[in-house]
Amino acid sequence: MDFDLAFAVSTVLPILSVIGTTIGVALLSCAGASVLGFAFEITRRGGAAPGYLIRFVIDFIRSTPVLAWLYFLYFVLPYYGLTLSSLTVGVLGLSLYFSGYLAEVFKAGIDAVPKGQSEAAKALGLNRVDSLFFIIAPQMLRNVAAPVGNHFVSILKATPYLAVIAVPEMLGKAFDIASDTYRYAEPLTVAGIVFLFLALAIAHMVRLLERKLMGPTRR
Amino acid sequence: MTIVEIFLGIFEGFRTTATVTAFGMLFAVPFALVFGVAQYLTRGLAHLAVTAIIEFWRSSAVIILLFVFYYVLPIAGIELPAIAVAAMVLGLNTGGYGSQAVRAGLQSLDRGQFEAASALGLRRRHTLCLIELPQALTRMAPTFINQFIQLIKGTALVSLVTLTDMTFRAKEIAELEYNPAGIYTSLLLAYFAVCYPVTVFGRWVEQRLGAGRDQTNGF
Repeated sequence: MDFDLAFAVSTVLPILSVIGTTIGVALLSCAGASVLGFAFEITRRGGAAPGYLIRFVIDFIRSTPVLAWLYFLYFVLPYYGLTLSSLTVGVLGLSLYFSGYLAEVFKAGIDAVPKGQSEAAKALGLNRVDSLFFIIAPQMLRNVAAPVGNHFVSILKATPYLAVIAVPEMLGKAFDIASDTYRYAEPLTVAGIVFLFLALAIAHMVRLLERKLMGPTRR
Repeated sequence: MTIVEIFLGIFEGFRTTATVTAFGMLFAVPFALVFGVAQYLTRGLAHLAVTAIIEFWRSSAVIILLFVFYYVLPIAGIELPAIAVAAMVLGLNTGGYGSQAVRAGLQSLDRGQFEAASALGLRRRHTLCLIELPQALTRMAPTFINQFIQLIKGTALVSLVTLTDMTFRAKEIAELEYNPAGIYTSLLLAYFAVCYPVTVFGRWVEQRLGAGRDQTNGF
């Protein structure tokens, strides 16, 4: 069997046709992972028992593969009567898996806000929640934007895992073409190239964003 | 099957998980060292070529790379066992990340180290091997340990190319009996049992390095 270049080219458009699913899944998962990761970090800072519990949860998530989480959610939730679409399970799985990493990003982001800010908020009589949401979080955003962007690229590169639970994203599409034609090399190579360029393009955008955000603080 | 039997059944796959990780390291460590140093030392066209190779391995989605090499290598006339392909792809992907840590570690060194070495008459290669690399690699040790954990978790992928690792064993057991909650919880626990000690070790290394650095600063 040879590598059929003409056939490979013919698979480009069908694979590109589902690029929206890939990007959409990555965006939703990144949003989910950010919300969950931020919630984890806030709870961890609360100290005492919930803090230790969250610390363990984060360690647990970071010690287990994303594939195992996807299987876990995909097979265990229906067992307890909760049947979700594979797309929902995929977004849930990626959100959960990456929340452990984003919690660390928020930790560093909050730590980098000068201590005087929360002290001033306290002096002005703001309670913990108000101080967090109106004083610390807005200043944290500048610190976390670039790392969250980098994790977005990681999430994007993890979306093809969803092919194993039958989410119709680009790798899944490539496998559909492969099983229809019995030719695996061409569609998979095309999917690989598309993913590589997509990841490089977004990584480049994150770098530009990083430079833009770093600009004013360097003065 | 009791939950203990399920867990032990899954752990039968540990041999494959460990083998792929070990062979993966045989690819990852030399790649990270050679390409990290090359990216640090080269300029112009050579730098561009080195960066392109690193970016190919680092920025591609590893699951797609695995399938591409699994199906494309035989077309190119290279017949390798699945375990070799998996170790190569996972290893070079990890090596791509590692190379960035090596380069960042080298770049983070005080320039005075290099200047002092030249003043003492050391050749460039001696400066690199005796002065720069030892400091850079020690400094980046926690990062390397994290990447090692990523490699262990990444090996879950080999279950998709028919290798009997822990994830594959979980799927085999799932075919024998309907107990998804028990099986996939055990799978997560199995990876946790393997990776968590490494996480703890990494934290210990990080603390020791931190302590050492404070001392030198105090001096």
